[in-house]
Amino acid sequence: MSGFSSEERAAPFTLDYRVFLDVFHMVVEVPRWSNAKMEIATKDPLNPIKQDVKKGKLRYVANLFPYKGYIWNYGAIPQTWEDPGHNDKHTGCCGDNDPIDVCEIGSKVCARGEIIRVKVLGILAMIDEGETDWKVIAINADDPDAANYNDIHDVKRLKPGYLEATVDWFRRYKVPDGKPENEFAFNAEFKDKDFTMDIIKSTHDHWKALVTKKTDGKGISCMNTTVSESPFKCDPDAAKAIVDALPPPCESACTVPTDVDKWFHHQKN
Amino acid sequence: VSLLLRLRRPGPPPTCAGERAPARAAQRHALYRTEERGWPRSLVYRVFFKNVAGHYISPFHDIPLKVDSKEENGIPTKKARNDEYENLFNMVVEVPRWTNAKMEIATEEPLNPIKQDVKNGKLRYAANIFLHKGYIWNYGALPQTWEDPHQKDKSTNCCGDNDPIDVCEIGSKVLSRGEVIHVKILGILGLIDEGETDWKLIAINVNDPEASKFHDIGDVKKFKPGYLEATLNWFRVYKVPEGKPENQFAFNGEFKNKAFALEVIKSTHECWKALLMKKCNGGAINCTNVQVCDSPFHCTQDEARSLVESVSFSLNKESDEEDAEQAWYFLGK
Repeated sequence: MSGFSSEERAAPFTLDYRVFLDVFHMVVEVPRWSNAKMEIATKDPLNPIKQDVKKGKLRYVANLFPYKGYIWNYGAIPQTWEDPGHNDKHTGCCGDNDPIDVCEIGSKVCARGEIIRVKVLGILAMIDEGETDWKVIAINADDPDAANYNDIHDVKRLKPGYLEATVDWFRRYKVPDGKPENEFAFNAEFKDKDFTMDIIKSTHDHWKALVTKKTDGKGISCMNTTVSESPFKCDPDAAKAIVDALPPPCESACTVPTDVDKWFHHQKN
Repeated sequence: VSLLLRLRRPGPPPTCAGERAPARAAQRHALYRTEERGWPRSLVYRVFFKNVAGHYISPFHDIPLKVDSKEENGIPTKKARNDEYENLFNMVVEVPRWTNAKMEIATEEPLNPIKQDVKNGKLRYAANIFLHKGYIWNYGALPQTWEDPHQKDKSTNCCGDNDPIDVCEIGSKVLSRGEVIHVKILGILGLIDEGETDWKLIAINVNDPEASKFHDIGDVKKFKPGYLEATLNWFRVYKVPEGKPENQFAFNGEFKNKAFALEVIKSTHECWKALLMKKCNGGAINCTNVQVCDSPFHCTQDEARSLVESVSFSLNKESDEEDAEQAWYFLGK
């Protein structure tokens, strides 16, 4: 599956024919309004999605008043990698060792593990605990309103307050865990689509270097079944054997601990 | 011969936490239990209430307004100061925080089960008003209260909305539909919803870990800054996505304090008493009850059971998709 996709409109050889190159795949890790911090397990073979663990406990993002959980469908663009060995010229920081993150702003609450096509609109340069952590802003290509969204200013116009809430959320989301507020490059300004495409391209190049062993990914598992130029490519049977060795799918989910429901208010004293 | 059908299921289908009626284990120690009929998010879904002896009761008429520390199961409610025992109230939870289905006590049905509100033949869901998700508090009602539609409230200059008085419970826990909890009253907002008086009490679950910090409306401003502003805004705009205008408020939208709130509660309780004693016109309100012995609408436990069991349902098992309301409404455009 390619990280790059394209969106065609109308038939070729007609006046209306368009090919949009700003459409990418997105792997949904966290449905909007949920709390469990799920992510692609970059160090596990075949990189399933799993819940992040900190200090031996499953991680849940706090409900930061006035927000409930994550305020977009959250996930990653496949075949991208923010290289920790590379110092980003915009942020002055090294990459966070993960695929590039996406905040998908459409109406539908997507499901964990859903693969959707998104139109990229803009990007926020977050610096999370001293590492570069870009946040792409995108909309589901199948959103009923998607045709009205072509660049970052459309988000400002059609969903006023959403970008401000996004900055506010990323700035404060770790404060309930006792961490400080996060910082941003460009004074927390959202950059436009063209800029975003450059960043995505750059993280895609880093991924290519990783998967062709030109860069040492240390703990990252580069096992794959489709990248022919990759020394980490394996055949489908080997991949199946890995999955078969794991515990079977469970019948019912464990319940979310009730303290995840708590709403954190910044207290004025 | 009418076909008597009871869609009585062993347990609810999997839904998110707040959407389930209280789990059986938790209910074993509670004074009130619920019994669901039909599937959630369907027209036939009902949540009936039973007391600890297993007899059907009305959550509107048969649950005491005030918590009586002597009567309630012999277990005194801890965590309230002695002087606050006088001001603990029972609250019936209709809508868990962060859910959307507009559930309410069915005031016109016998024994007043909780059901989902319907408008134009469709089940109603509250819109997600950006940046909020569903209701932003656990929402419900105080039993044994009634906002009389024939009486003009002197503060709002509007008649009552014909329902029990509403409560916004601001504690941390997401409660379950049909749960009956003890709350401390903190204040009140004078909403005028589509021209009717619709007071909104602000309260906190007495068992909230922080409950001891909350005594009056000022404590909400202090410990949960922004919550009252968000509440005001939510009630102002929540019907705009349906095409209705913004709502208005008495006192310029100011939240009144506990003392004021207690007076309003007292007044709605008096209206309810008049209703149950047939001293006023209740219209279509169903006043059937098993506990208010002096009421002309009082019935026996057996009669109550017959009433519940005679409610028939169609075989239609259609129910809405979970999260029927996913879109976020941006009203700032």
